[in-house]
Amino acid sequence: MFRVVINALLILIYATFVGFMFMGIIRKVTARIHRRIGPPIYQPIIDTLKLFGKKENITHGLIYDFGIVFALGATILALMFIPLGNISVLRAYGDLILITFLLEIPMLGIMFAAMSSGNPYAGIGAQRALLTLLAIQVPLGFAIITLAEYYGTFSTYEIVMAQQIHGWSIFHLPLLLAAIAYDIVLQAMFGKEPFDIMIAPGEISLGPMVEFGGKHLGILQVQHAIGLFAETLFFANIFLGGAVITTFSNPILNTLATLVVLLIKQLAVLLLAIFISTIFPRFTIDQAAKFYWKWPTIIAALGAILASL
Amino acid sequence: MNELLLIVFSPLIAGVIAWVIRIRGVREGIGILGALIPLLGLIKAYPSLDHGIKATITVGGFEIGFLLSHMSWVFSMIAVVVGFSATLGMVTTARDNYEWLFALMSLTGVLGVFLAQDLVTFFISWEIMTFASFMMVFKFNRQASLKYFLLSIIGAYAMLIAIGVIYAKTGSFAFSEISAFFRKDAMMAMLGGQPAFSRFDTALVYLLFLVAFGVKAGMFPLHVWAPDAYSETDQSYTAMFSGVLSKAGVYGFILLYILMYGKLMVSLGQFRGAPLFGYIIAFLGGLTIMVGGVLAALQEDIRKLFAYSSISQLGYILVGLGIGTSLGIEAAIYHAISHALFKGLFFLIVATLIYRTGKTEFKDFGGLAEKMPYTFAMAFIAILSLAGIPPLVGFASKWLIFEAVISQNLPILGGMVFFGSAIGFVYLIRFTYAVWFGQRPSDIENTKDAPLPLAIAMGILGALNVIFGIAPGIVARELNKLFNSQVIGGNIWELDLGFGRYNALLVTIWLVIGLLIAAILYFLGASVRKVPVTDTYQSGNPVTMDYNLTIRRNFFLPLKEAVEFWLRISFDKLYRDVWKSIEDFAETARNYIYNGNVQAYAWYLAIILLILAIMGV
Repeated sequence: MFRVVINALLILIYATFVGFMFMGIIRKVTARIHRRIGPPIYQPIIDTLKLFGKKENITHGLIYDFGIVFALGATILALMFIPLGNISVLRAYGDLILITFLLEIPMLGIMFAAMSSGNPYAGIGAQRALLTLLAIQVPLGFAIITLAEYYGTFSTYEIVMAQQIHGWSIFHLPLLLAAIAYDIVLQAMFGKEPFDIMIAPGEISLGPMVEFGGKHLGILQVQHAIGLFAETLFFANIFLGGAVITTFSNPILNTLATLVVLLIKQLAVLLLAIFISTIFPRFTIDQAAKFYWKWPTIIAALGAILASL
Repeated sequence: MNELLLIVFSPLIAGVIAWVIRIRGVREGIGILGALIPLLGLIKAYPSLDHGIKATITVGGFEIGFLLSHMSWVFSMIAVVVGFSATLGMVTTARDNYEWLFALMSLTGVLGVFLAQDLVTFFISWEIMTFASFMMVFKFNRQASLKYFLLSIIGAYAMLIAIGVIYAKTGSFAFSEISAFFRKDAMMAMLGGQPAFSRFDTALVYLLFLVAFGVKAGMFPLHVWAPDAYSETDQSYTAMFSGVLSKAGVYGFILLYILMYGKLMVSLGQFRGAPLFGYIIAFLGGLTIMVGGVLAALQEDIRKLFAYSSISQLGYILVGLGIGTSLGIEAAIYHAISHALFKGLFFLIVATLIYRTGKTEFKDFGGLAEKMPYTFAMAFIAILSLAGIPPLVGFASKWLIFEAVISQNLPILGGMVFFGSAIGFVYLIRFTYAVWFGQRPSDIENTKDAPLPLAIAMGILGALNVIFGIAPGIVARELNKLFNSQVIGGNIWELDLGFGRYNALLVTIWLVIGLLIAAILYFLGASVRKVPVTDTYQSGNPVTMDYNLTIRRNFFLPLKEAVEFWLRISFDKLYRDVWKSIEDFAETARNYIYNGNVQAYAWYLAIILLILAIMGV
């Protein structure tokens, strides 16, 4: 029991820290692509601390507060079910479908809070977020189906273990197709261009985020950091082989090596997303829906059919 | 009197009494009693389920037989729990004793369907149910009720023909005998003998039953009656109409499986490991999910939205049934239970909203969460449950359907189910946004919270949503008894399928822990100051209540544009056109045949005589 609590706490702190670093890396790499120096890598942490330090916060009612808390709580919940090497808390229950759903729940909380503010920009942002969610769900679903059919199990941890033996998922053709589709979907899940339609800075004043300030925005920053960590981790687990290192005799060294290997894989996923996002302008929402229902869906469906044969 | 007969007929008797006694107060009490007796009766009968309870009465030379088995107990329990909640709601919303009579009559009908042990009982109960629900709609909207009635009649007579075909060949109405007959027949066909039912006969019976049960379940493309009928009636009654009466169609499909699963499998063959006839049902179910979901998102009327949503959720059940493994069927029944629970709750919420505000369209609502906190809390549970958010019951059942579909290697169906879960999310947020949040129109400023009977009814269903969600094993254990095997493993908190596990208790615990951590972070910050809805960012401009800040119309316009091509294909329009041409034909026939010319009638006589002469009479 005590061990579980310590593990959970460590995972949480590690995920938050790495998530913030990821956010810093996004800003840094984007800046370098634009030939700027950019902020220091720990800048998002400073930003968040500033937000929590505000002397006054506003609220639009109970749901406005609860939605934010719910979003962060659900993100933490999702994190606990994703295997982080061999130190995860609930990896035995890390069912593919469950995690896919859990990764969507934070959106519900943000949406509830945003809409309860009654701001029209938040309303339009919620609409766009929902349509993006609807659009990505089809290729995402097919990618998950491909995985489950190929490995014959829904357990994420068992999929990681299977990859230890048979090699990474992306080296098998059906799963490669699924991974490509999932990677395109990730772009929207991260909220990066060309699919950052729900936030759309400069177009609809940050959409759902428009009314948040102070500690509400601070909590959303933490949520975003953990979410970024969880989503990259999930992708690395199911497509890039995850990592369960057992070469060292010392368990602590093993754990550290696992974390390093996972971190490299997560960074690879993240960098790919940044490179795409810095060179593509934003889609409109109907273009995004039509795009997701066309190419990624075809690719992923092909993968799913190949896997089921 | 046999307790089974009491269970079936007490709603009807109570309904008749409530109809005769026109005293307000007494009528409501009797109505509630009529729905409560079957509930208590079923709970009392539970321990003696294993040897089955039977009751028969003889009417007009037919044996009307009822049998309480595990399967029918589960379905009847859905019916009485939701039916009882709906009658509680009707205490507030029913306008006269007419509604009490027919609402309770339809409860008797649907209990009769679930408890029938032969086709005659089944058909009679089916007709009582259809007629009573038709009368409920008829009082509110003639057009909608006639559409419902016509399609139901087509379904019912398709069933009658199928029953006729079965009786002609087997000589029996009893389920047990028919089922035994078909098993023998299937065996005969496999061994190369001459079966009593040819391939064509089997396919015909299957198609007729597909139409019959498909209409009731709202299966695409036979769903067109549902949006009108569900919305144009007392919304408390719709909790039962959508929650329970649609399950009669589902039960019908299960009955089809019980009667002739093996025979259909042998005659119609397989498709990718799944039986072909099941795959057809599942595929239509998949289309139902998508069509119902997209149309629900585009509705501007709160009742219509939930009507289409109901259709969409029924699609899940059909998908689960269609894949036809024991896991698929258990998942489908599980979803039938959870659909009844959350959709019953939703329609009671709609009833409350309409009762308190008198409005039905999204453009008239807004900001009600502050005025109706209890109803909003219930809506919150229902939303989480329908959208499939763990740890509520909607997730447990959807999860089972996902796993059942994907483990059968049916990728296309899986894609449809995934789309359905996202679209469920989409239309629910639209409901949430337009009704509960944002700016409140001045004419609903003084809205009060739900009246007591409706609040109790919502409380019952809301609590069941949470309890079954956190402890999904309670239902799974009951369902395992249907097959006498451990199809869904695990304990009371956990569902274990071997290739996937879902532990609802752990999800709940960690959700609470996550919420606590988030709450600590939240309370670390400075205190909050409440600001009014007009104190908001509007590109830096000041706003007053005269501005409409909430998007209430055409919320999903981009979606509408993205699927514009598909929206032009409307089955509603097709049916209306077909009906119009039938009417035209009737008119033409009347004009030509009954043309008022005496000589023409003489000619008809001559022609008939000529035909008789040719035939050599």
